[in-house]
Amino acid sequence: MIARNRVVTTGVADGRPLVFIHGFGCDQSMWRQVVPSLADDFRIVTYDLTGMGQSDLSAYDPERYADLQAHAQDLLDIIDELGLVQPVVVGHSIGATIALLAANQEPQKLSRLVLVSPTPCFLNDDAHGYHGGFSQEDLEELISFLDENHLGWSAQMAPMIAGQPAGAPAADELTKGFCRTDPAIAQHFGRVTFFADERSAFEKAACPSLILHCDDDALVPMQVAEWMRDRTPGATLKVLKATGHCPHMTVSSDVVAAIRDYLKAI
Amino acid sequence: MYDKEELRSAFAELLEDAPCGIVVTDPDGRLQYVNETLSRWLNLPTNGEERPQRLPELMTGPGKLYYETHLAPMMRLQGFAREISCSMKVRNGSNLPVLLSGVARQDSEGNPVRFDYTIFDARERRLYEDQLRAARREADELAAIVRTSPNGILRVEEDGVILRWNAGAERLLGRSFEAVQGLRVQDEIRFEEDPDWFPRAVETCKSAPEAVFETVDGKGQHFEITVVPIREHEVGPKRNYSIVLRDISARKKAELSLKVAMNEMKHRIKNTLAVVAGMAKQTLPGEFRASFIGRLQAMSKAHDILTSEDHKSADLMELLTLTADEAGGAQRFRIKGITAMLPSEQVTSLSMALHELTTNALKYGALSEPEGYVEVTCEKIEDTGDLLRLVWQECKGPPVVTPTRRGFGSKMIDTILKFDLGGEVEVDYRSDGLRCVITFRV
Repeated sequence: MIARNRVVTTGVADGRPLVFIHGFGCDQSMWRQVVPSLADDFRIVTYDLTGMGQSDLSAYDPERYADLQAHAQDLLDIIDELGLVQPVVVGHSIGATIALLAANQEPQKLSRLVLVSPTPCFLNDDAHGYHGGFSQEDLEELISFLDENHLGWSAQMAPMIAGQPAGAPAADELTKGFCRTDPAIAQHFGRVTFFADERSAFEKAACPSLILHCDDDALVPMQVAEWMRDRTPGATLKVLKATGHCPHMTVSSDVVAAIRDYLKAI
Repeated sequence: MYDKEELRSAFAELLEDAPCGIVVTDPDGRLQYVNETLSRWLNLPTNGEERPQRLPELMTGPGKLYYETHLAPMMRLQGFAREISCSMKVRNGSNLPVLLSGVARQDSEGNPVRFDYTIFDARERRLYEDQLRAARREADELAAIVRTSPNGILRVEEDGVILRWNAGAERLLGRSFEAVQGLRVQDEIRFEEDPDWFPRAVETCKSAPEAVFETVDGKGQHFEITVVPIREHEVGPKRNYSIVLRDISARKKAELSLKVAMNEMKHRIKNTLAVVAGMAKQTLPGEFRASFIGRLQAMSKAHDILTSEDHKSADLMELLTLTADEAGGAQRFRIKGITAMLPSEQVTSLSMALHELTTNALKYGALSEPEGYVEVTCEKIEDTGDLLRLVWQECKGPPVVTPTRRGFGSKMIDTILKFDLGGEVEVDYRSDGLRCVITFRV
């Protein structure tokens, strides 16, 4: 488990455990602006979802991972294996959904959730007045688009930073871990992510949670944030002034402050 | 060389009117600069207020998703993105496929301050890549068929040098590709009775689209072999051939046992008929004996025709020739018209009917007089259909008298022709000679 998902533990050994789950398209390195600010007070665990980043790609069995539940089970297994006692789990985007599914499955194992830019469902559901932000065609096109990038993917990983001054951190080191994705897995996980509809899981949330939503999120409309606030038991919504879908990268200090604030109150 | 002023104006022109789109954003993706080329490609409004605010707004829906989930994190974490294939929205036009590359500029503390992007028109490249992907998919699928086929599939040169040898060939012939690569196929796959099978097949292919033949190897394994020239993408002076080897040993074995069974059956039927004839001779009184044995013989002969052919059909002419023998030769039994192939059920019933007619003619009809004869004419009624008409006309016989009662023979003709042959029968007792018209569908 530990090697398979490249689990990294930092921070203080006897601190309160915080587990971070990245979203679709990237890996645990996306937390690097958040983790150092919390390392003095918490025991911090980051890892790569199976099939992503530097996890063991051969462990990605498309049949097992056809469902987010398998990723939730991975999280529970990691918590067990490290012997973490009631950790707080911080998940980004689809990682937030995975954290919530794990909490619903074994509520006694997790204490709190921090959901960064979560959405229960990207897909519009006009029949139920739910506006997820994307139509079926949009999402299908994205999936085919992931396939298209297949040809250019190797170039993505080439250890080369165009236009950067010499003497910058070793290019090889920098490129190796970031957002490495096997195209076939990316396409499969993309489909699982973008066609997931976990609205009922959000409505049955078994763990209190903090929802962090960017006021200018290009992927998740404000209506979805309000839907989660109104329908998710024990949820607190905090809207961040930020653009994009990754506040932990763009306004990392605000995210850190919000997490500290939320955990202080318990 | 340009002087400073010239250089400045050259740079300005290069930037605005570059052969690619150039975009500068802040780290949140807000557009700081869009060059003239991209504005033109995307037909962006000139009015500042209507212009899109962020880079993802220039992209199609999926591009937007990709920007937020992949591109933006990538730019922040690794500081660059290369040749991302995506589509941009064109105002009042169809989407423009592009290739996007970007680089992040950082301040002295390593914080990103600016993202620079170049955007290339990828319409032609996209077209080519789509074709490439489709071709690759097709090739993969076809290759999987060859890989998993139970048949041996080979690619060889004109002189037999082996270029490819699939897994099926390895299983069938027990030799790996490595062991035979570069050797000549006629030396590696040997048939004692047919050592020159490959050059002969190549020769055949010069005048025919393919060469197909069956052969057997030293171990008694039967093969069906198909050799076809590979004409597509021919390069070099040597033509290539595909060879497909199919193991047909099981089929051959089945065919053989079927043949043995057929012969055995034929033998038994003939025996049984001979025994029945013997019993008739012993049991029946003289008057019935001859006609019964005659009928039995007619049936036995029809059977012979069937078994000597392919068991399923027989030639009508052959059947009529048998009847001619019975009637006393070609002078007395004159056959005219066309022939046809009849299925086995029709052969038996028609031969029985012809036997009855002949017996009747010999006893009471035209054949009972030395000058009398029978003329049988066979013709097709429809050009398209398989409707046949057989006319039995007796000539120069004694005056015909309409019988007062129906004998067994005429009853049998009626029954078997109507039900077994599925035909129509008309018997006309004309005074100058009996006429029987049989119409049936083959």
